[in-house]
Amino acid sequence: MYGRKACQLVKELASGEKGQLTPFNSDLFEQVVAECTQHHLELQALIRKMQEEGLDVQTTRNAEHHGALIHHLSLVRNKRCLMAYVYNRAETIQSLLWKIGHVLPQEIEEKLCHPEVEYFKKHSAALKSYMSKMQLDLTVDMVPPKDPYIQVRVLDDIGDGIVLSDDKTANFARHSMHFLKRTDAEQFISRGLMEELTG
Amino acid sequence: MTKYYDIDDIITEEEIVSVIFQKATSGVGIDPSSETDYIETSSKVELPFWLAHELQLRQVVSINIPPCFDQKTRLEIQADCASVDLRSRCPFFYEFGCKIAPVVGDRTIGFLLLSAFKNRYKEVLTKAHTAAFSAATKFWSILTNEEINLYEAAQSSMASFKKWRIGGPRFQKAPVLGRKRKLTE
Repeated sequence: MYGRKACQLVKELASGEKGQLTPFNSDLFEQVVAECTQHHLELQALIRKMQEEGLDVQTTRNAEHHGALIHHLSLVRNKRCLMAYVYNRAETIQSLLWKIGHVLPQEIEEKLCHPEVEYFKKHSAALKSYMSKMQLDLTVDMVPPKDPYIQVRVLDDIGDGIVLSDDKTANFARHSMHFLKRTDAEQFISRGLMEELTG
Repeated sequence: MTKYYDIDDIITEEEIVSVIFQKATSGVGIDPSSETDYIETSSKVELPFWLAHELQLRQVVSINIPPCFDQKTRLEIQADCASVDLRSRCPFFYEFGCKIAPVVGDRTIGFLLLSAFKNRYKEVLTKAHTAAFSAATKFWSILTNEEINLYEAAQSSMASFKKWRIGGPRFQKAPVLGRKRKLTE
């Protein structure tokens, strides 16, 4: 009560490493929402009590008024914590799109709740339609590379038959090395499936 | 409110302060030691800062100075700032001090914060750029959150500089995916 559970929720967000998501804690979230309803009920009960005593609700400053004030402030605090929780997670999801690309890996999808997955999909669709109208791919590296091709080693099994941008199919078995165009390799590297070989 | 969504701000405001109620209040179970939900005038209660601050604006309570700014801490800071364990007193020492100062009406808090920060900043910078890992962890545990941000910024700038000198790979696994293996910095 009184904002302690909501603060726990926010602390959970802060406890993860920077830029990493914790699984969406829907139990605690719903508990905080239930607390808000409880505060609201108690607030109404106190206001009703004041009205029964025939006092003017707007101007009297008696004990019930202060109690109602505390309930109101707790409610507003709970709201702030809930909104901060959702907002910060949404920001992390937005940045996911720029770092990883349009496909959500399984391990991250488990940590998101259903509306967050929808948010990611819609955000990704909006970005795609924007990029296609501009005819420009905004998700590539900002610094132009010295060499359009790089050497990569495959770390995880991606499978074969992947079609690259120059319409060739490649077989990405584990530990194989390839000489690819930078734009193709980028998306695999940022997902951790390949690594760049320097030197 | 620019800091509405800021998580550090929310956690800073959750710090407990002890207050004295100037007016009686009923209908709230906030005081865990009393059996009824009625709070008498001049009773001492522990409240989180966000609640105490709002109530003080409406003159329902008066706030006492929290223990992290008391005489004992002041003496320790005057003696040797750099080794005072501010983290166990209050992990948001500076931010909390800035919020508390106008509320409690104590003018000396500002000077205390400034002198503490100036002395510790020198230590933070030198350790961030030069210390070996084992010494660093011990130092880390006495820093407040704001100092840790500075420390990490200094370390990451050193790492980026080294990387630029040596010319490491431009792309790495996105940090949000977690660590299945150590990232090469």
